[in-house]
Amino acid sequence: MLGSNPARSDADAKLRGEAVFGADLASPGMLWAAVSRSPVAAGHIRSIDVASALKVEGVLDVLTAADVPDGRTGVIVNDIPFLAVEHVAYEGEPVAMVVADNRASAEAGAQAVGIDIEPTEPVSTPEQALAPGARLVHPDWNRFVVAGGVDIGRDGNVVAEVVHDPGDLDEAFAAADVVVEGTYRTPRQYQAHLEPKMALATYESGRYTIEVSHQYPFRLRDRVAQILGVAPSAVRVVGHHIGGGFGAKLDVSLEAFAALLARRFRRPVRMQHTALEERLVAPCRANAMVAVRSAVRRDGTILATDVEIVSDSGAYANNGPALSSIPMFVFGSIYRVGTARIRTRNVYTNTAPTGAYRGVNGPWLVFANERHMDAIADALGRDRRDFRLASLARDGDLMRNGQPLEEVSILREAFDRVDELVPWRDIVSRNQRQRDAAAPSSPPAEAGADVLRGAGQAAAIWLTNPMPGHATVKLNEDGTATVITSATENGSGAVATGLRQIAAATLGLAAEAVTITMPDTDATGYDAGSQGSRTTHVVGRAIADASAEVRSQVLDRASQMLEAVPEDLVIDAGVVTVAGVPAAGLTLGAVAQAATWSDGPITAGASYVTPTPPHDPACATGMLIKGWPTPTYHLHQAEVSVDVVTGRVTVDRYVVCQEVGRAIHPDAITGQIQGGVAQGLGFALSERVDLDHGRYVQRTFKAHGLPLAEDVPKVEMIVMEHADPAGPYGAKGAAEPPIVPVAAAVANAVSDAIGVPFDTLPITPEAVLEALEAEPNGEAVARAAREPVLNRDGEQERDTTGRAS
Amino acid sequence: MQFCRVRSVAEAVDELSRWGTEGRILAGGTDVMPQYLRGEQSPAALIDISGIEGLQGISEVGGVTSIGALVTLRRLATASLVQLRHPALAQAAAAVGAWQTQTVATLGGNICSAAATADTLPALLVADAQLMLVSKSGRRRVSLEEFLEGPGATALRPTELLRAIEVEPLGERTSEGNLKVGRRSAMDLAVVGLALRLSVTPSGVVSDARIAVCGGTRSPHRVPSAEAAIAGSQLIDGRLDCAEAGAELASAAVPERADSAQYRRRVLPGLLSRLAERCVTAILGAGG
Repeated sequence: MLGSNPARSDADAKLRGEAVFGADLASPGMLWAAVSRSPVAAGHIRSIDVASALKVEGVLDVLTAADVPDGRTGVIVNDIPFLAVEHVAYEGEPVAMVVADNRASAEAGAQAVGIDIEPTEPVSTPEQALAPGARLVHPDWNRFVVAGGVDIGRDGNVVAEVVHDPGDLDEAFAAADVVVEGTYRTPRQYQAHLEPKMALATYESGRYTIEVSHQYPFRLRDRVAQILGVAPSAVRVVGHHIGGGFGAKLDVSLEAFAALLARRFRRPVRMQHTALEERLVAPCRANAMVAVRSAVRRDGTILATDVEIVSDSGAYANNGPALSSIPMFVFGSIYRVGTARIRTRNVYTNTAPTGAYRGVNGPWLVFANERHMDAIADALGRDRRDFRLASLARDGDLMRNGQPLEEVSILREAFDRVDELVPWRDIVSRNQRQRDAAAPSSPPAEAGADVLRGAGQAAAIWLTNPMPGHATVKLNEDGTATVITSATENGSGAVATGLRQIAAATLGLAAEAVTITMPDTDATGYDAGSQGSRTTHVVGRAIADASAEVRSQVLDRASQMLEAVPEDLVIDAGVVTVAGVPAAGLTLGAVAQAATWSDGPITAGASYVTPTPPHDPACATGMLIKGWPTPTYHLHQAEVSVDVVTGRVTVDRYVVCQEVGRAIHPDAITGQIQGGVAQGLGFALSERVDLDHGRYVQRTFKAHGLPLAEDVPKVEMIVMEHADPAGPYGAKGAAEPPIVPVAAAVANAVSDAIGVPFDTLPITPEAVLEALEAEPNGEAVARAAREPVLNRDGEQERDTTGRAS
Repeated sequence: MQFCRVRSVAEAVDELSRWGTEGRILAGGTDVMPQYLRGEQSPAALIDISGIEGLQGISEVGGVTSIGALVTLRRLATASLVQLRHPALAQAAAAVGAWQTQTVATLGGNICSAAATADTLPALLVADAQLMLVSKSGRRRVSLEEFLEGPGATALRPTELLRAIEVEPLGERTSEGNLKVGRRSAMDLAVVGLALRLSVTPSGVVSDARIAVCGGTRSPHRVPSAEAAIAGSQLIDGRLDCAEAGAELASAAVPERADSAQYRRRVLPGLLSRLAERCVTAILGAGG
């Protein structure tokens, strides 16, 4: 049962096209509404002319800020108005809502609203936002309320600041033989899920029902209640199949609009983003800049690391203030980086608010951490893998928050396992031979000289999201079981297979005999949604506990019926027998019926929240995420070819070694790894989310550049199991982290191939050719950098990378 | 809109003369249908020629290859006759979209849509393609070079149908090739496409060089200045120095779209060298 691959409960319906996704929903008599959005990144609203929208056939009404609740709301900082009031702060900000009796009229009406805005020069980048005298994106920022009243270091355009500073860095830098510096920049990343965001809202008897495809129905319930100013219990959220989310469907989008209109018109109201709206208002992964400066001793010891991070919140604070704690769990958790100062600032700009994308902040933090490890290894003339192994954190080391690293030695095992599959030394010497054959003086078209090969590695430690889950397990009178939970199936299979397997294994049933409900906030206990790989671990634990209680009720009832003590009973394939007497069995159905008609139905509920790991509460200011619970361990290794004529990077071989606790459904895990690597390759090489004066340049899927099947290699995987005592049957989270180390491994490989450091993503063909042109002797530089920079007397001889100083 | 399905060339030219500028020919539909759905085309009649069997053949007539206008790109990419006699065209066809696109898209459609990014056109230009046009009032023959009048614009008259394309096969000691660079490995338009046909004498002198590009803001076109820079060159150690031709090619690639002009300038010389090396290797390998 566990470690096998039963079919997903949703496979048949999805293959046949029978599954009802949010975007398929309709209700008799429903109205359609659409949003009229700001065409500019920043400006003052002079007037809103609704007359021409009202003339569109089918349009019933147009609402502006004057018609909706006042005030601002948000996840952490209450800074988002219901509809823009006086000012717009990003392109795509909702300004008006148009209601019509059909979708086309609603959308035409939204286009017809005349929004007259006096544009202001937008604050387009975090650098501009932080510049002295920068215009404030929100001049009234200090009137915004922060959830829980905590101090998150807000100041003008700074939404949040997390500072960890032990105060001993200067001393360490004074003792350094080499100081290595690097600045690592990454763009936004768009989730590019296929099903657009939608909502279907109804209002009845003073309560709102919202049908939706959403990753976190309980947060949606609370956010809609917050926005409408009603009690959370006045809102019911019902979830349907999700056509992709990757973090984009964790917060409210259209739902509160639809709910308000449903109440106003006393009819169901349906809304759905157009493809362009999806793109304009997606809560992309934040663009970020990470500057790292390390004090290094010539023996390779890193004495100190100074990290300065700026991430772009966009026009409003989403979850960026919380995510600003994550650097604390990356620097110093994988490699020993000495004493560390880490400052992270999340800043407002006049751009669409950023948010959660699979592996929040991880891909760019690991990119910076691992590019920097290569830079130090090159500066010291060390083999990059040897340097990593020498620098690896050890069991018992403390993370920057004071949390002990209990099993970080698993990373060393990962390095060994990957090396058994693909020996690093073989790759390095093969690539070096090939580069030597391609003399740097040869023109690029000479035989064999126009493709350069390189290899890179990147390691990560990622968390399993600890937030609460609940499940009720009931044994049906036909001997099957139903799991009632609001855990959401976001595509990974965690609900459609994993949770059912956990219940089945505990109850002694086949997976097919376990059904699991869709989310409904009226019917289940709280669930923190599909995020951070939490479902199998957290909800799985709740289900395992509830199932164990159901099992114990079954055994009690069966022991009376079979006249045997519970300890002697065995449940297998839905039949209870006395051990050693297989002929005299009772089906679970018979036991359930007997129970139902005597003491009552057999059912049990259980909750689980992962405890916060031990940590030092004084480790930093502004920390909203205190610990890094249930860590998993990851090593990725990429081999690439770079075509020096076209600049195109081809990933020839890709190996992932991932620790998962215990693999409940191995096929689901390999699917998640393959998919995470594909998304990571898109981030590293081809996807484009460029901003020009606050506006997105690429506005279609076609311009976006998602990798195609042709662009993604078959990922080779090593799945390591180190059972977690708290997890259900040892399982930890597995689905989120495979995206995290990809860009780092690929950038290290490309940098190795052509001898030019790639510290900015994406590594497009244009960027490769530009780098080669700017550095025609790149290869020679890279080769020299692999030789020791220290002469025999131990003095620093030359600055080969251009960044040792 | 009227949908007219025709079964013969005669029926087709009848319909074309009836509808004139109000008619639009539908072959594979990979351009016309998306344009129609986006509202960019609203012809009074769609004249579906896909059922005309006489336009589906590939034949050899008097040393010239004649390709019916309805031959699909997938067939061009895989037919052994095309692979052997017109390798650049086979390579170009294989670089269009994906297999699904190639399976319905036709050579005639790629020519008549005349996009700046039309992948097969450079290969056809270096093969000196001649287009066989037919209308109710007669037939005419136009070279592809004259036919192309700008992106999306051609010399095709509203009453005319492209019937077949005649291409010159490779001569003695001649080789050719085609390279495409897109943003992705498939399902994407050419940022740049390049075809080269090269002839080398037994004494190692380039006797003919034809170079054509696509992917800019102009129609696909030959690049005479780059051709002139190679013609007459002597191979040295079995290699052809393309540096001068590459520089000519790069400068002929401007002015271009701002976002890719620089990239095109950088990539073209290398692509030319790569193609030249392949051609020279094939010619020398085929008989010294």
